[in-house]
Amino acid sequence: MGETTPFDEMYNADGSVREPYRALSEWLAEQPDKGLALMQTDAEAIFRKLGITFAVYGSEEGTEKVIPFDVIPRIIAAQEWRKLSRGIEQRVKALNAFLYDVYHRQEILKAGRIPEKLILNNAAFCPQMMGLEPARGVYAHIIGVDIVRVGPDEFYVLEDNLRTPSGVSYMLEDREAMMMLAPDLFQRSKVAPVETYPENLRRTLQSVAPAGAGSNPVIAVLTPGIYNSAYFEHSFLADQMGAALCEGHDLFVDGGKVYMRTTTGPERVDVIYRRIDDDYLDPLTFRPDSMLGVPGVFDAYRAGNVTLVNAPGTGIADDKAVYTYVPEIIEFYLGEKALLNNVPTYNCTDEDQRGWVLDNIGDLVVKEVHGSGGYGMMVGPTSTKAQHEEFKKKILARPDNYIVQPTLSLSTCPTHIDGTVAPRHVDLRPYVLVGDEVRITPGGLTRVALKQGSLVVNSSQGGGTKDTWVLED
Amino acid sequence: MRIGIEHKLRVTLPPGTGQAVLHLLLTPPSGQSQTVESWSVEAPGIGNAGRLIDGFGNTAHLVNQTKPEGEELLIRVRGTVTTRDTHGVLGRPPGEPMPALYRRLTEATRSEPDFVEAYRGRSVSRLDLLHGLMADVRSNLAHNEPVPTQMQADGGQVQRQGGAEAAEPPSAAEHVHLFIAAARALNIPARFVAGYRLGEDADGGCLHAWAEALDDGLGWIGFDPQAVMCPTDAYVRLATGLDAQTATVLRIVPQSAVTEEVTLTRHD
Repeated sequence: MGETTPFDEMYNADGSVREPYRALSEWLAEQPDKGLALMQTDAEAIFRKLGITFAVYGSEEGTEKVIPFDVIPRIIAAQEWRKLSRGIEQRVKALNAFLYDVYHRQEILKAGRIPEKLILNNAAFCPQMMGLEPARGVYAHIIGVDIVRVGPDEFYVLEDNLRTPSGVSYMLEDREAMMMLAPDLFQRSKVAPVETYPENLRRTLQSVAPAGAGSNPVIAVLTPGIYNSAYFEHSFLADQMGAALCEGHDLFVDGGKVYMRTTTGPERVDVIYRRIDDDYLDPLTFRPDSMLGVPGVFDAYRAGNVTLVNAPGTGIADDKAVYTYVPEIIEFYLGEKALLNNVPTYNCTDEDQRGWVLDNIGDLVVKEVHGSGGYGMMVGPTSTKAQHEEFKKKILARPDNYIVQPTLSLSTCPTHIDGTVAPRHVDLRPYVLVGDEVRITPGGLTRVALKQGSLVVNSSQGGGTKDTWVLED
Repeated sequence: MRIGIEHKLRVTLPPGTGQAVLHLLLTPPSGQSQTVESWSVEAPGIGNAGRLIDGFGNTAHLVNQTKPEGEELLIRVRGTVTTRDTHGVLGRPPGEPMPALYRRLTEATRSEPDFVEAYRGRSVSRLDLLHGLMADVRSNLAHNEPVPTQMQADGGQVQRQGGAEAAEPPSAAEHVHLFIAAARALNIPARFVAGYRLGEDADGGCLHAWAEALDDGLGWIGFDPQAVMCPTDAYVRLATGLDAQTATVLRIVPQSAVTEEVTLTRHD
C-alpha cells in the first residue's frame, strides 16, 4: 500500500503482459488505427439508444448525461476472483449477523467490542427495528462492496454499501454493449456471465418473502420517481425481473397488508425492493413530511405481511465510523480472520491521531462520515493548500464527522484516451445478493477515473465505467 | 385499585382525504403494576387492522380507512384495569428491547441539562440519584411556569408573565423529556411512558406522561417529574418509547386535528 508506482493490472514491472490480459493485449495490437476511437463513438450511440443516463445533482447544464464508457474491458483472473468472492461472502455474512445482533440482544456491545454509543446514538441506527425477525434473518439482501486493488495480491474494501447500492444496471449494460462492440474478443476468452443478475435478484427477493406469500411471491420495485438520479436503473431492474415499478402512491396498506393499484384492481405485494431511503419510506413511522413513501408500510413489515429489501436500519453496518470495526465484527460472529483488508482509518476524535492527521493532511483522504458519491471528500495529494486548510478547520470543528485514511495507490487498467491507450486508476464494485443463499455476480462495476492521475472514480466527478471480466478456468 | 377507562379520540381529517392510515398505541400491557381485565378498541376499520408489536414492545394497531365517509373518525377505547401501588417499581418484563437502547439521545432528549453536573462522580445510590433528578427537573421547569397576575384573582382574564405571547406552562411531556435527557446524560437508560392518571378526587383523570429509568437491581422504576412522585395505583401505563414521538398513542397520515376525551372511574 502507498507505493509510489501504482499496480498496473495489464503489465508487469518488466513490461511483459500479465497472464489474464494476454488475449486482450493481442487484440489491442490488432486493432487498426482509429479502431478504438470508432468503437468509442459506436459505444456512445449504443448507450444513448439504451437510454442509460444519469443525473448530476447540482449540475447546471442539462440534467441527463450518458455515463462515459471505456471500450477496453478490465480483466480479473479466475483465482483472483475466487479469493475476492470468498472475502466478500465472509463480509456480508458477518455484517448481516451484526445487524441481527444490534437489533436484538446486542451481545457485541455488551462484550465491549464496539463502543455502545457509536451504534445506539448513530443516526443510521433504527430503533424501530428492535426485535423484528426478518425473513431468513437477512437485513442486507443487496450489497455493493467497493474494493480497490493496490498490488498483485492485495485488495482493500473501501465501503460495504448496505443501503441501496446503485450501478448494477451499468454492469449489465456495459456487458451488453461490449458484446456488440467486440464479439471477436469474447471468442478468445472464457468470460463468466453477468446476465444472470436480474434472475438471481428475483430469486433472492422471492426467497425472503413472508411466510404465507404463496409459491410465486409478488415483487414491487419502489422508486422515488423520475427525478431520482438512478430512476433508469429502477425501471430497468423492474423490467428485467418482470416486477412492477411503483412510486409511493401506487402502493397502499389495507388490513395490515400492502397492495398495489393495477388496472384490474388491487394486487397484494409480498416483497418491496425499495430504492427510497429509510427516512422517506413511511411517513407514519419515519419523516412525517415524506411524500415519497407508503404510509403504514413499516407497520405492515413489522406485522410480518411484507418484506422490505433492504431492511430499514442496515445503514448502521456500513456507517463510515463503524467500518473500522468490520474486522472485529467478522471475528466476533464467524470466529475467522477477515480475508479482505480494511483501509487503515484514523479517528479524529482521538487527540493524538487528530494531531497527526492535521500535520499530514496533504497525504491523506478525508471523508465525511455520512457523505457519499464523492461529495464532502478531499484527496490530499490532488487538492490545493487552501483545500487542506479548509478541511483542517472542518475536522477541528467536528472531529466526529470525518474519517481519514491514507491515500491508496489504486491499481490502473489500460483505458482508451483520445485514440491512445493509457493507464487510469480503477476501483471495483461487485454486487452481492443474500437470501436463501449468497449469490455474487462475477465481476461487478469497474469505475475508472478518466483524468490522468485522478483517484476519484465517481461518475458525478468525471469517472467512467468499464466492462469487468472474470475469466473462467 | 380497579379503574374504568373510557377514552375517545375524534380525528378530523383534511377535506378530500382519500386514504387515512392510523397507528394506534392504545392497548395497555399487563405487568407488575397493572392487570388489564378487559379492553376494547373501536374504530372504523379496526376489524381489519394489522396487529403488531412495535420496536419498543408496545402492541400496535395499523388501521386504514379508504375514502372515509365524512371527515371525522371516532376511536373509542374502553376497559378496566386493576392497578397496584409498587412505588413505581416494574422489574424487567420479558419481551422488551435491551435497556441500552434507552440511552439513545433523540431530538427531544439531546440537550444536557446543567443540573446533571452536580451528580457526576457522586457516590449516591441509583435510586437516590433518580429521585434527585426528578426534583431538579421540577424546580428547573417551575421557573418557566406562568405567574398569574392580580387580574386572575379578580376573575378577569389570565395574563401570562411576560405578556400575551409567553409560552404555555411546561407540559408533562416537557418534564419527562428533561428527566430523560438528564438520566441519559448520566448513562442511565430512561424511557417515555404515555398513560392515564386518575384525578385526585378519584374521578375524572387524564392522559398523562411520565418517565421510567432503569435500576440494575429493581429493574424499571417510574418517575413522574411533573408531580414529583413515583407512579402509584392511580397510574395506568399505555405505551413506552424513546420520547413523546415514539410513544404517542395516535399517529395519523394525513396529519389531522385530534381532540380527546378521557374519563377514568374508580370502581372500588
